[in-house]
Amino acid sequence: MDKPSPYFSNLKCRECGRLYPKQAIHVCDFDFGPLEAAYDYEAIRPVLTRKAIESRPHSMWRYRELLPIDGDPTVGQQVGFTPLVKADRLAKALGIRELYVKNDTVNYPTLSFKDRVVSVALSRACELGFRTVACASTGNLANSVAANAASAGLKSYVLIPADLEQGKVLGSLVYGTNVVAIHGAYDQVNRLCSEIAGKYGWGFVNVNLRPYYAEGSKTMGFEICEQLGWKIPRHTVVPMASGSLLTKLHKAYGEFARLGLVEDTGFSVHGAQATGCAPISHAMKRGTDLVKPVAKPDTIAKSLAIGTPADGYYAIHAMKQTGGSAEDVTDEEVVEGIRLLAECEGIFAETAGGVTTACAKKLIESGKIPRDQSAVLCITGHGLKTQEAIIGKCGEPRLINPSLREFEEQIYSKDAAADAVAA
Amino acid sequence: MASENSRLWLTYPSKLVTRPVLWELGKNFELITNLRQASVTDEIGIVSLSLTGEREEIKRAIAWLEQQGIKVEPVEINTIEG
Repeated sequence: MDKPSPYFSNLKCRECGRLYPKQAIHVCDFDFGPLEAAYDYEAIRPVLTRKAIESRPHSMWRYRELLPIDGDPTVGQQVGFTPLVKADRLAKALGIRELYVKNDTVNYPTLSFKDRVVSVALSRACELGFRTVACASTGNLANSVAANAASAGLKSYVLIPADLEQGKVLGSLVYGTNVVAIHGAYDQVNRLCSEIAGKYGWGFVNVNLRPYYAEGSKTMGFEICEQLGWKIPRHTVVPMASGSLLTKLHKAYGEFARLGLVEDTGFSVHGAQATGCAPISHAMKRGTDLVKPVAKPDTIAKSLAIGTPADGYYAIHAMKQTGGSAEDVTDEEVVEGIRLLAECEGIFAETAGGVTTACAKKLIESGKIPRDQSAVLCITGHGLKTQEAIIGKCGEPRLINPSLREFEEQIYSKDAAADAVAA
Repeated sequence: MASENSRLWLTYPSKLVTRPVLWELGKNFELITNLRQASVTDEIGIVSLSLTGEREEIKRAIAWLEQQGIKVEPVEINTIEG
């Protein structure tokens, strides 16, 4: 057993503020409010300086005092510190002065931001003595749990809806995890996962380990600030599924400001969803914090298709508190967003990245993100994971015989003519 | 049969806000109901409820609540992630 961290102090109810010990629990006994990690910031302040951070390896663990584990990380030590790309061509296309892309499509090892949350959850699971870990997921989380559990030598179970695409299932099976496909409506599968989590004494990353898991998302915000030269971005556009990532970016910026690592010069966090499953965006637009569940999500952005978002209420408050807004886009706009990001910056994002890019476009056009300011887009997963969404929508290769004459007639001369018209 | 406990969030549509659904639940099922939090407006009712009793009775009660038009979610709300 590791010595308790002097920095990570307790779990705390987000509703009533009651404190709980740092165990595998996630809900307040009194009001069912979610628990989250609490820290002793006065103890952290003298230790976590810019100089100390800069001297550490390039991974998300360089901010370890602000992560909820007691000892050294044991799972996913190489995760994070993905590139922050200055996206000048995309900025020009969207009509904004300055734009950056936080590129978690190249996060290690499973090409999505979920590796951040899973490495924290599994490191904590090891500290708490779990030998079996599990999750319920429609894709990215399942892949990440399977891969990280494999590398840590943990037994893992991945619960998935029975109708999931073959490619996503394969991305978990390859790591030797136990994949269990469940028939039934979303509501029934959701409740079964809760029961399984409660019954078997496993470390269920997004249920009984959720307070630890969710904190991993903060590292995306910490990295953005550091990579911007120790500044909080004026605007951040974040995809929303459960809404957790948005609330944790908000927490991350607040923590860095509180510790004096950055100056709080004012920032806004904006949320992005697909119109076919936009319970948080719709509530925000209606001006309420009552998130109405979406019974049957209908969008190609499946990684965001959570009809009952657990953190929706808190995401709305984070957006309101920072002067941010929510936006949602159609499936056609999602595909346009994927192509725009790829063609301008050479970054191939999954559908959630298309949602973020397309929503940023709308937020800039509507003036909610002013054109003379700067913004960061959080791109959370690689496009190879959702190729089916864009097959047939990016054109076709032009076919010729092995003849230079054909190449010149059918390709080169036509392109030269088109270039001349464009010029 | 061993007694089990289920922690649930119930979401009522506006047409059910005035109906004494929890009283009916208590009358119709052999379960201990324990209310933890509630928010009721003209538009929607949200209730956090703990149910204790036999597993099959809890399952029947959940099915009955859903038949009435109430959305029943586990305490975590969504356990399935992207």
